[in-house]
Amino acid sequence: MMQAARSMTVLPWARRPLPSPSAGKGGGRVVRQRLAVSLLLLAATPATAQEAIVTAQLGNAVEIVDLATKKILHTIPVAGAPAGIALSPDRSRAYVTRPEGHGVTVIDLESQKVLSELGLPGGPLGVGVNPKSGEVYVADWFAERVFVLRPTPEGVSLEGEIATGKSPSGIAVTPDGATLLVANRESDSVSVIDVASRKETRRIAVGSHPFGLTLSPDGTRAYTANVLSDDVSAIDIAAGRETGRVGTGQRPYVIAFAGGRGFVTDQYSNTVTAFDPATMRKLGTVDVGDHPEGIAATRDGNTVVVANWGDNSLSLIDPTSLTVTATIETGDGPRSFGDFLR
Amino acid sequence: MIRTVLLATAALAVTVTAASAQHAPTRRKVVESVTIRAPADKVWAVVGNPADATWIAHVVKAERVTDATKPTYRLTLDNGHTLVEESRKLDPEARSFAYYLVRNDVADLPANDYSATLSVVPEGDGAARVEWKAAFYRGYPNNDPPPALNDENSEKAVRAWIHASLETLKARLEKGGS
Repeated sequence: MMQAARSMTVLPWARRPLPSPSAGKGGGRVVRQRLAVSLLLLAATPATAQEAIVTAQLGNAVEIVDLATKKILHTIPVAGAPAGIALSPDRSRAYVTRPEGHGVTVIDLESQKVLSELGLPGGPLGVGVNPKSGEVYVADWFAERVFVLRPTPEGVSLEGEIATGKSPSGIAVTPDGATLLVANRESDSVSVIDVASRKETRRIAVGSHPFGLTLSPDGTRAYTANVLSDDVSAIDIAAGRETGRVGTGQRPYVIAFAGGRGFVTDQYSNTVTAFDPATMRKLGTVDVGDHPEGIAATRDGNTVVVANWGDNSLSLIDPTSLTVTATIETGDGPRSFGDFLR
Repeated sequence: MIRTVLLATAALAVTVTAASAQHAPTRRKVVESVTIRAPADKVWAVVGNPADATWIAHVVKAERVTDATKPTYRLTLDNGHTLVEESRKLDPEARSFAYYLVRNDVADLPANDYSATLSVVPEGDGAARVEWKAAFYRGYPNNDPPPALNDENSEKAVRAWIHASLETLKARLEKGGS
């Protein structure tokens, strides 16, 4: 029953505006409709839930939002200003950081309950999960380190820490699980860390105050949103250097990829800037809500979901037409900084 | 003028250059509004003019900074300190003005990385509602803040400042002046 219901949820994103005679771009639309149909067929097999796990930082809650019905299914109280989020490789758990309550809360997404909590010093904010080992990395906003947590049946245990630059923020791990990348907000750089030895092997200079860090879908490039230089840096991970930059709106924050395009939230412009990650050219902007922060693409790549901190809402964006297709109300101060779509 | 302010800030040893300081991990939100018995256009004529800022509590003078790349205004306070604000978006059609502070002293306004949107919405023909929506981090950027600059008290102070400003705006516009 549940599986059938979940596969249905792909429907709203597969829909496209009907071709209209006045549009003059009928051909492109037909292609897109065919694509939509084929995606529908694909979606019938795996049971990928289309849920957004929202950290409502001012509401001190984590909300599970069904993107199909656009409703909050569950509200889980989490004290300590929950902000960062990452999901376990099997997507059954959410790791939520609490920068004010100083720690990490582990949520079982199947039962929608808090499984356990782990206290951590400093200001735990950015969080990422190793896709191979399931190890959890938590950045300490007030220091120069990332905590390493090991998943256990009960939750997580603290295993150690890795030295980084100042105010580590966004975190990503390469698909092979071997390399950890951390954006150092106050050091204007990215730390490249060897997961096996837990040592920084390289530090790459990027724009001013990088916050969000996201890998390209193939895992060969990393992109940082540079809050103070109003741009996005592209990094060639193997070469260990910045390869390009693209201008954004004011205060870019977090990046997502869908349909071969990059999307970055512009906190002070209330927009999302779309860019071509290959040429690093700007493709357009989408008006969203007030102070957009977290951003991620659904697994089918058909929707980009944005958390609007100021408006208490999610904006759903069609990455092809660059339009907002729906808005969903959330609790107070949604941040969802990290991998928040299930 | 600028040099005097910089010296004053340095003397206080509370460095708050919003643009470069690290901030606390949780941004706070304050939304205050007031209904004014005056047409929306008349209200917008004041709210949408950053150079007309003396209705804002403690502001005695406002002037455009001419050498800035973006529209920037320097607001002088009654203690001689300044707030410097940069426009994010001034939209006369939506009657909405968004800006952020690039300089403020936490002794004057206990906030870091402060940004705000002021909007005017008509309520019938003869009245309008002004909403002031502010987003900022507490006055103290690090862990274990002193009480005056913690989340709760920073929010309380910013709210009081906004509330007082909106009341002044209402009194001024309802008196018939502009």
